[in-house]
Amino acid sequence: MSYQEKNTTVSLITYILILGFYLVNLFQMYREEGLVSTRLFSLWAIVIIAAILVNIFASILTNIVLSIVHAIKTKTNESERFIADERDKLIELKGVKASYITFSIGVLLAMLTFVFGQPPLVMFSLIIFFSIAAEIIGDISQIYLYRRGF
Amino acid sequence: MGKSQVRNNIRKLRFHHNEMTQEQLAEKVGVTRQTIIAIESAKYSPSLELAFRIAFVFGVPLEEVFSFEDKNFMNTKE
Repeated sequence: MSYQEKNTTVSLITYILILGFYLVNLFQMYREEGLVSTRLFSLWAIVIIAAILVNIFASILTNIVLSIVHAIKTKTNESERFIADERDKLIELKGVKASYITFSIGVLLAMLTFVFGQPPLVMFSLIIFFSIAAEIIGDISQIYLYRRGF
Repeated sequence: MGKSQVRNNIRKLRFHHNEMTQEQLAEKVGVTRQTIIAIESAKYSPSLELAFRIAFVFGVPLEEVFSFEDKNFMNTKE
């Protein structure tokens, strides 16, 4: 497993955890008192900030942990080459494309909720859901391409 | 995306160059070992620049490292 692959796996796990947190809180709120805008706004803020921060820290942590593991394995001070070559960049582009398509479909589906007379809060909740789901699909497609070779 | 139509002799050339490892070749051309593996197994077609770099490492012309096999394309040419 290459460095890029490990990094993508960590990113995938963090996004799955964040999506899980979001869905659990959303359904809990829906069951208790329906979608209350003040509580929902704070949930969105937490989820968006967590998605950004957790991903940054997870990436830094992965880097540190992998460097330590590499140093223990090789028993040298020589650091592992964390380079992203042309294949990595192409795989990343394909992942971004998959994310973009997923998010576009998600936004269209979210818009459809208006047709069925749902309040705007439902639409925005769905957009947040699909933005995280899009990242997950992007990461999964990247891991799939890494596993297959390209 | 299946196998690419660009075939290569990298494995053979590595063998003839003191059994150079994939890691050594990867380091010389500035890519990861995984990319060399993907190129060798014809799963990934390298960029022209990388192809030239690989040929340069082995000290042979590009055609000796890579060849193109697309029967449909060859038939349309004739």
